Amino acid sequence: MTRTAADPAVRSSPKPGSRRAPAGRAAARTRRRGLRRSSGLPWILPAFIFVVGTVYYCIGYTGYISTLSWDGVSPTPQHVGLANYAQVFHDPVFWDTIRHTVVFFAVTFTVQTAIGFSFAALLHSKVRLPNLYKVIIFIPVVLAPATMAPIFRQIFSATGQFNTILEHIGLGALAQPWLAQSSTALPVIMAITVWEWTGVTFILYFAAMTQIEPEILEAARIDGASGVTALARIVWPAVRGTTIALGMLSVIGALKTFDVPYLVTTGGPNFATEFLGTFIYRVSIPQAEVGYGAALSIMLLILALGGALAFGLRGTRRS
Amino acid sequence: MRTSPSIRCRRRTIPVISVLSFLALVLAACGGGTAGSKGSATSASITWWGWTPTTQVAAQYIQAFNKVYPHIHVTYKMLTIAGYNAALRPALASTVGPDVFDVAPGAANGSVETYAPDAVNLEPAIARALGSNWQSKLSPIGVSSMMSGGKLTGISVGAVYSGTVWVNKNLFDQYHLSPPASLTQWVSDCQTFKAHGVGCFVQGVGQTAFNEDTLQAISDDIQPGVWARAIQGQVPWTSPVVVRALTTWKSLFSDGIMEKGALGVQQYPDASNDFVSGKYAMVMMGTWYMQYSTPSGLSSAISAAGVGQPKNFTMLPIAFPDVAGAGHPGALYGDADYGLAVNSRSSHQAAATTFAVWLGTSTAGQQQVANALNDIASLKGVQPNWPNISLVSPGGQQPVLSKLISNAVLSSEPRLATVSPNLQLAIGVASTTVASGSATPAQAAATLQAAAAKMPHHGAV
Repeated sequence: MTRTAADPAVRSSPKPGSRRAPAGRAAARTRRRGLRRSSGLPWILPAFIFVVGTVYYCIGYTGYISTLSWDGVSPTPQHVGLANYAQVFHDPVFWDTIRHTVVFFAVTFTVQTAIGFSFAALLHSKVRLPNLYKVIIFIPVVLAPATMAPIFRQIFSATGQFNTILEHIGLGALAQPWLAQSSTALPVIMAITVWEWTGVTFILYFAAMTQIEPEILEAARIDGASGVTALARIVWPAVRGTTIALGMLSVIGALKTFDVPYLVTTGGPNFATEFLGTFIYRVSIPQAEVGYGAALSIMLLILALGGALAFGLRGTRRS
Repeated sequence: MRTSPSIRCRRRTIPVISVLSFLALVLAACGGGTAGSKGSATSASITWWGWTPTTQVAAQYIQAFNKVYPHIHVTYKMLTIAGYNAALRPALASTVGPDVFDVAPGAANGSVETYAPDAVNLEPAIARALGSNWQSKLSPIGVSSMMSGGKLTGISVGAVYSGTVWVNKNLFDQYHLSPPASLTQWVSDCQTFKAHGVGCFVQGVGQTAFNEDTLQAISDDIQPGVWARAIQGQVPWTSPVVVRALTTWKSLFSDGIMEKGALGVQQYPDASNDFVSGKYAMVMMGTWYMQYSTPSGLSSAISAAGVGQPKNFTMLPIAFPDVAGAGHPGALYGDADYGLAVNSRSSHQAAATTFAVWLGTSTAGQQQVANALNDIASLKGVQPNWPNISLVSPGGQQPVLSKLISNAVLSSEPRLATVSPNLQLAIGVASTTVASGSATPAQAAATLQAAAAKMPHHGAV
């Protein structure tokens, strides 16, 4: 291939015998800058070692453990190759957790997005005491699930306050032991999650909406667009990046769900609220099948990465 | 911009120092401490981790221990049952784990089998304390269940037995009822309680390990010993006795004995709190519940249940009602409750061993255990010193509790000691699927049998 003047290597080569040209001096400066830049490596090395040591090493080690039949403390684990992964695909509880995760993601993401987006839009309009509403919406985010779990167990128990309210408003026929039935336990877990995390969705949408030029909305109004039309045609597309980011976080969050189902229902009844997180814990700790738990963890990692990538690629294509 | 050589030198030096410092820190961390020193047997600060006893009872043990060994400072850390293994595994793998930790027979929590490699063999220490015939001086169940691979992994502190229902005598008296002896009477009592807005029988069916207690009681009621033999793989889970036990278990729900929504309730803290706070008249608990017969034990439990002004009541154990009508009620089955193991990585092994041996083998230590009414003493001949034990209702409770202890020590039927975690899970699934109606007793028994058949030793430990 013939080199052209556009080639940086050609442009920076001084002619033989000539005095150093300005381009040559620039190249020398670049080389010096490059050398200086390389000296930055020691600065990032501690953080690099730390990240590799803690995160990637742990992932690799989990991958290694997933090839073992091991209780976590025995000095003689047995190598079983990919047998743990084969077991994953034949385990009905694993497929239950996947189904629960998909339903959980679809419902919580949709509801949180609808509520968070609506609240953010409402609080961008002229309302009294907006800061009070913001605090009220955001407070559940900062409350520890461990603190709230016993309260929710009480609220949704057969004799709990939720049923009492239903009875007092004439809906006593709907009262039931919400956490004791496979059909209602998962919706309760989703409701608690929506209550807990809608504040984050709201805050992110609220921040994203502040970036929309008021002139655009004003122009839409002048053109006769109603409030709903402006929200649907201007605001919603403008915050698409936030929605995609929230979608990615929701996918990962759904796959990692642990605290609420574990603390409120311990994954029951009859695995009705079992998620990958609670399943991994139960297999690894009470059942002491650490190798199988590690294989499930790797599956979780793959699913989380896949889900986040899918959302990211979808967002990129639309952009 | 030109920089002076000194500044350039400093710029090069700082990152080098930072890298070297970091590497030094990493190397220091990787090096760890040596655990060769066993320390003094009479002076040290040691830590004890366990899920039992309660902090209040542990404080009593430690206080009594310090009268004999004033220079060994013991700090007790109580962990939840559910979180114990999760906390203990990494702690024992490190050099900063507890010096003494609870172990228990079976595979449910603090398994002797699991943690034996991390524990010191305590046989020489116990032989020094009790002599070469030490085994004959202790409850057999407390010795065999603490052995693993010929090694005494822990020293049994005491035993617990289940198969009893605890009743709130005040509520029974208030509504002129007698504790149930049959299924019919149980149903009738529950109807009366419910008519007065009082809960009848509470069990945390969501915490499935406790379902085994009720199922074993029902099964023993039908034909003693079949349940224990099924665990050993000697009787199939599809046995008519087991199927009938599951059918009777289902009737506890359909006949209105079990509280509504029991599948969503945890035995601890929910069911226990509901009982001690007076919301329910009966609860399925074992001998460990004797600790709430004392005014201080009960008022602490009531306060912990969220009641502002605790009001003590008389609680009594009764035999599990003859729900099958087969005429075999009142079976008790039990295991060593827990033993104290000494961490093989501890640098205070000698002091930790002193504490474990004192609590598990000395008359003074075992008297404390017996008096706490949490466990039945492991050292033979040690009974609660009733005149020194304050009970809520001494006249009514003391004879009943004495009889319970006398009957319990005669039992040789194991409770959870021989159940593997996977079998425990399978039994839990059988119990909840039958309770929820998603499987018939016969289907659940068949599923349980199929699961057990795939397990090594049929799921027995």
